[in-house]
Amino acid sequence: MTPEVPYYMVLGLVVVCALGAVLIRGYITSIIVLSIFSITVTVSFAFLRAVDVAMAEAVIGAGLMTAVFVTAIGKTRRRS
Amino acid sequence: MKLRHLAGLALSVPTALGLGALLLSEAVVTSPPDGPAAHYLRNSIADSGAINVVTTVLLDYRAFDTLGEASVILASVAAISALFAGAAPDRSEQGLSILVKTSVGYLTAVFWIFPIYIVFHGHLSPGGGFQGGVSLAVLVILVYVVFGSRRASAWLTSSRLHVTESASAFGFLLLGTVGIAQGLAFLTNAAAGFPTGSTGNLLSGGVIPLLNLAIGIKVAAGLGSIYLDILSSDGSR
Amino acid sequence: MMQQAAYVTAAIVFAVGIYGVVTHRNMIKICISLSVMESAVVMLFVSLAYRPGAQAPILEEEGVTYVDPLLHALSLTAIVIGAGVISVALALTVMVYRHYGTTDITVVFRGQR
Repeated sequence: MTPEVPYYMVLGLVVVCALGAVLIRGYITSIIVLSIFSITVTVSFAFLRAVDVAMAEAVIGAGLMTAVFVTAIGKTRRRS
Repeated sequence: MKLRHLAGLALSVPTALGLGALLLSEAVVTSPPDGPAAHYLRNSIADSGAINVVTTVLLDYRAFDTLGEASVILASVAAISALFAGAAPDRSEQGLSILVKTSVGYLTAVFWIFPIYIVFHGHLSPGGGFQGGVSLAVLVILVYVVFGSRRASAWLTSSRLHVTESASAFGFLLLGTVGIAQGLAFLTNAAAGFPTGSTGNLLSGGVIPLLNLAIGIKVAAGLGSIYLDILSSDGSR
Repeated sequence: MMQQAAYVTAAIVFAVGIYGVVTHRNMIKICISLSVMESAVVMLFVSLAYRPGAQAPILEEEGVTYVDPLLHALSLTAIVIGAGVISVALALTVMVYRHYGTTDITVVFRGQR
């Protein structure tokens, strides 16, 4: 029973971060919450013994896609 | 509440309930993996000498699928560079301060260690070409953020990354044709004469480390050039 | 029990992504929602591969059960392809902004500039 309670807490965080990433209005805040969502999903993968997938999700979701999203947001804003 | 919010709720709530009920009604699988997965788990060491079965599935048993995946990355890189064709690269960014530039300039050599380790130990430990390649692509982003596009675009251009990506894709295909030259299937591993080495060592797994290297360079160059293409487009008006 | 909780979470996260895709008019927000949906699919794959008490699929000891490596390989592929697809979507967003001056998708559908 012991390893399951932290896992359920991580799953709760996953749902909260998904709701936050979709519903928060600000762009940059939404991207940061999406990055945290990727990290929590990574932790849930590590609980399920999916080490390769966890590493890929951490590197792509939290590292690369955040940078690409932030760059795209910077390109779709009026420079003042 | 607007109409589209109602439509969103009307679509998403039944999806959550239906999908959740459907998945909960499935019996939870507790038996060990069967079918092809059992075959892969049983024969991975004998067939290729690699102990990470995920890498063996990706680069030995189902290497052709991996070639298809790599071609999807190539297609998205081609689409993005075609979208932004003709855009003059933005060379105005100065980067961060001299302190950060100097320290990152020395630390860049250290930052290479993790991707190289991940790529070359792909058949022994978690990781492989994809994860290491994306770490290298993040290094491209780091160079552009720290040194600014004025200095970084002097040598790290998106067209050079395109050439690197195409060259490593060609290397992947070339490694695959070794099997064809001996009358075997495309991307044959140990049967085509690649030494499997002693299991658990760095030099084992036959062609898998070489394919990992090709995939790693390809993913790094591809995703790095995607970032550079989006960065250098003059989208803001 | 862990698997069933993961199934329900994947279903909820997928539905949250659908809600975002349907309700948002901003293309960047739609890309974010697509990314969330893709993560939900990968979560479902990984929880289908899990077996209670099994080890990660790295063959270091004899006589233990391992989780399903085939689904891990498939979801690894799905993650990398998803990154490429969402990058293309973001590039299209930047192009739409360059042509229309906005990222509101309803303006694009009406064809106003």
